[in-house]
Amino acid sequence: MGDRDPDGWEQLLRDTARGGAEQPRRIADLCVRMLEVSGAGISLVSDTGVRGVICATDEVAMRIEELQLTLGEGPCVDAVRHGGPVLVPDLEDPHEVATDRWPAFMGAAAEAGVRAVFAFPLRIGVISLGAMDLYRDQPGRLSDEQLSGALLAAEGAGIALLATQATSEVEPGGGQPSSGGYDAQVHQATGMVMVQAGVTIEQAFLLLRARAFSSGRALPEVAADVVARRVRFDAEDK
Amino acid sequence: MTTEDHASGRSVGAPDRERAVTEMFVTLADTLVDDYDVVDLLDRLVHACVLILDVTAAGLLLDDQRGHLSLVASSSEETRLLEVFQLQNNEGPCLDCVRDRTIVTSADLEADAGRWPAFVPQALAAGYRSVTAVPMRLRDDIIGGLNMFGSVSRPLADEDRRLAQALADAATIGILQQRAAHRTSVLAEQLQHALNSRVAIEQAKGVLAERHNLSMELAFQMLRKYARDRNFKLFDVATSVVAGRVDPGADG
Repeated sequence: MGDRDPDGWEQLLRDTARGGAEQPRRIADLCVRMLEVSGAGISLVSDTGVRGVICATDEVAMRIEELQLTLGEGPCVDAVRHGGPVLVPDLEDPHEVATDRWPAFMGAAAEAGVRAVFAFPLRIGVISLGAMDLYRDQPGRLSDEQLSGALLAAEGAGIALLATQATSEVEPGGGQPSSGGYDAQVHQATGMVMVQAGVTIEQAFLLLRARAFSSGRALPEVAADVVARRVRFDAEDK
Repeated sequence: MTTEDHASGRSVGAPDRERAVTEMFVTLADTLVDDYDVVDLLDRLVHACVLILDVTAAGLLLDDQRGHLSLVASSSEETRLLEVFQLQNNEGPCLDCVRDRTIVTSADLEADAGRWPAFVPQALAAGYRSVTAVPMRLRDDIIGGLNMFGSVSRPLADEDRRLAQALADAATIGILQQRAAHRTSVLAEQLQHALNSRVAIEQAKGVLAERHNLSMELAFQMLRKYARDRNFKLFDVATSVVAGRVDPGADG
């Protein structure tokens, strides 16, 4: 853990965290600048497949997203299904070729000039929002530091997607990622708020963030109050 | 159910302990052949620690690959214990053990207050007097730590230390799934999957705690019992609970 620079990344993500519909694109651009990848794309994905492309930094990245949308298979489809990243440092690695995980995707991606692809689910527990694909035109694995950056970027992109999908006037409180630490109570409180306010888990998470934002308090503090049953959310809070 | 063995401080006697150790390793062996639930395995492991080692609480913290340690399993869901585990993102024996790649112990936390000025008062306030942190090793990498607390000031016996390291090593294998471990990317894939599963479980605990007016501890027990009775994965049950498809608290 010691030789990584997550704080630098968190700062960068915060700087790009102006929110709004452009936020996923800014995060994708940030990945290209910081992670030595050729391009990045973000899609909405459900368990059954890719539902729509949100953004892509270049034509190849767009092609990667569209291929998975059309074919219904590929690393980001698997990342969503599995709930963890799918990292393929070399599409032509004999082991990958032999495994033949995505028969149609592999050939088409190679034809488009893709040699390495790294897919990250955009997920907060059971909340599944989409996936982020990074690609390289040369083989090569992500260094520990790059992986760390990509995971933070995925976290930020997930929250940005959640905010843009919210239909209500809920202000998500900026798109900054959490401290990165494991904050059990934030997630416990999300589940409680879902039941209290009679909303979806996604809306509950946004309500919690909005309450923290509007009261000028840290999210974990508000969450601790909810878990301790000092604070309740009602249906009117929707 | 179990009687306190005052000579050793363990919660079970020698024959029971042997049985518990055997059961734990049989469970671990099963994971290597079947499609198994990694979070449930880690949960069983921390409970086994409390049962067979001279400790009162145990937790597993994984490197989240974003610069923090993240709790994935704990022998109790008690908030103060979770906070003491969590606190160690800044300082503490578990952070030291991961950073220095070695077992870190304090047989007397009060006497070691200067070593971890922020951590020790919190640990003492939560009722703990001794601590042991064992690294989870994978070749050159450290993927996390097994963190254990005792309620009395006493060093962990050498035998217990060795067993703790064996359990930590077994947990590492469990996370990696031996069959796929030759792929370098598997570590990240599995770690992140385990971490996300834990987040899903917390969300589901919140839903159950609110719906049935339960403590988080009881909500987790309800979730876990439902999953184990039906041989479902905790992550899948958590997802179904949040989606409103199942309610483990409903009668019948």
